Amino acid sequence: MIDHEYLEGRAQWVRQKVVEMAVRVNSGHISTAFSQAELIVALYHGRMLNYDSKRPQWDGRDRFILSKGQGGIGLYPVLADVGYFPLSELDLFAQRGSILGVHAEWNVPGIEVITGSLGHGLPMATGMAEAARLDGKQHFIFCLLGDAELYEGSNWEAATVACHQKYGHLICIVDRNGQGTIGKTDDIRAPADGPRLNPLDEKFKAFGFEVRSIDGHSFSEIFSCLKNFRERPLVGKPLIIIAHTKKGKGASLMEDQRLWHYRVPKGKDFEAVLGDLRAKSGSSERDVKGAGSSKGGY
Amino acid sequence: MAETKFIIGMRDAFFDALYRLAREDKNVVVITADNGAPSLDKFAQTLPGQFFNVGIAEQQMFGMACGMAFEGKKVYCYAIAPFVTTRVHEFIKLDVCAMNLPIVALGVGAGYAYDIMGPSHHTVEDIAIMRVQPNLKIYSPADSTCAAALAEISCRDRSPQYIRFDRAGIPNLYDDNVNVSGGLLNPIESDGDICIISTGIMVHQAVKVATKLAEIGISAGVSDVCRLKPVNIEALLDLVGNVRGVVTLEEHYLAGGLGSMIAEIFVDGNIFKPLLRIGQADRFVFDYGGREAIWEKYGLDVESVVGRIEHWYDRLLGKKRVQMREAIL
Repeated sequence: MIDHEYLEGRAQWVRQKVVEMAVRVNSGHISTAFSQAELIVALYHGRMLNYDSKRPQWDGRDRFILSKGQGGIGLYPVLADVGYFPLSELDLFAQRGSILGVHAEWNVPGIEVITGSLGHGLPMATGMAEAARLDGKQHFIFCLLGDAELYEGSNWEAATVACHQKYGHLICIVDRNGQGTIGKTDDIRAPADGPRLNPLDEKFKAFGFEVRSIDGHSFSEIFSCLKNFRERPLVGKPLIIIAHTKKGKGASLMEDQRLWHYRVPKGKDFEAVLGDLRAKSGSSERDVKGAGSSKGGY
Repeated sequence: MAETKFIIGMRDAFFDALYRLAREDKNVVVITADNGAPSLDKFAQTLPGQFFNVGIAEQQMFGMACGMAFEGKKVYCYAIAPFVTTRVHEFIKLDVCAMNLPIVALGVGAGYAYDIMGPSHHTVEDIAIMRVQPNLKIYSPADSTCAAALAEISCRDRSPQYIRFDRAGIPNLYDDNVNVSGGLLNPIESDGDICIISTGIMVHQAVKVATKLAEIGISAGVSDVCRLKPVNIEALLDLVGNVRGVVTLEEHYLAGGLGSMIAEIFVDGNIFKPLLRIGQADRFVFDYGGREAIWEKYGLDVESVVGRIEHWYDRLLGKKRVQMREAIL
């Protein structure tokens, strides 16, 4: 059993790295990286995934698709930390000569497919699940989706096939932070909010998924939900985990706020964000100065 | 299982040839978006695990193909041409071309093949939009012998590919030994006045046009660009070096199609050769009565094409050509 306190520390470290990377180039989706942080850390540091960072193409690995490709900035620190590439690469994020761009691309060791346009990951995952089954392979296919990504119709095309074909080794996780780029998905109060996604669990159940809901920031709930998942049959209901999260989790000025989808904190905002993160992790690690004032948002 | 008895077109010739390959290689997979073919039934009946119907869900078809190809499968995605090109273009761009995966999009009904079905089923923009995608090869067979030959070529090649088939009932131009690997075929050699460059069903029209032109004293060769991307530029330049002018004939928008490609090749290669592009203008077609009715209305029938070429060629040669014709008549 991996110490949850250690994992919480890694999740906070990931958030700090994300802020540093984004501030350095004044670009990057910070709040979405914060909402998925515990989920990614659980998969990699928590060893829910079978992987070998020294052999990224090892055939027995579980496949992980970050369908919400804008979360790449939050995946890179984890991949580096578990050994896919040097930590120093993070300092080059989105700069000349770097392998790391704003959206997850397959040239990065540890990243399987190109994402960034939403609604591609789940269809790809069904193909991987089908191919694995045809070839008698036992690995699992994990697909992390954003909840606002579920507005894309292709997900529901894929859901129909996944449930009909009973891809028992397909595990989808929805980062249910309740927010898209400019609006909320369910807490509908502003004109810019999107159409209501709920009842999401009922929709997935109706398609034929096994649906579980958890607090996506709680390691104990994540691990308890995934306990014994390797015993799932190759032919059976695909599993979908609705992980309730907060967009911008860990930085009080960002949490659940509409403005921060693609906004980089500067000046006092930057200090406030780092202050929050340091308070939780007890770390004073920092190598970027966030001068100026916050700009953008979409 | 027996071959499909009634060869109704290039699609079935292709699937029959592909079936022979798929029987030997279980990694060859066909996905359909609920589109059938007499020649496809045997895949479903005899090759379990190599045939999937995902329903009318083309995005899923290509996304799933991406996942399967990523894991080592050779995947063919089949539907009516507009639905494997315009409908799913971003999946073609990202899941197929950007990841450079061995996926072949098979589109049946190029051009106005689905004549009375309206713009939803007309496919007169596919060359334009597909040829911009890096890594993608594009084939446009003119008959079933070419289509059958493409089965092995496409299966051996790990590149992303798009093959545009016509619908049915097209006679063969070539014999079974046709070699399409060079990407350019010459049903009528060009060694006279002009060369008509065409693709798909319009190659048949071009042959008829050339015959008519010969009757009025214009000698025309006909070339078939059966591989639209990459075009065999060298062979093409050899060809046009021998003639006074070049005509492109296509059942496709002039914007971005075969004529555009030839014009680009001329400009980029400093080829100062008169070029007449014949194709569809900037319009949607809501006319019924069949493919020939569409051709007649929009100047793609043999008589209209002959008239346009004659007029253009007269102007190209000026008085000399008129005198030549008078001498013939």
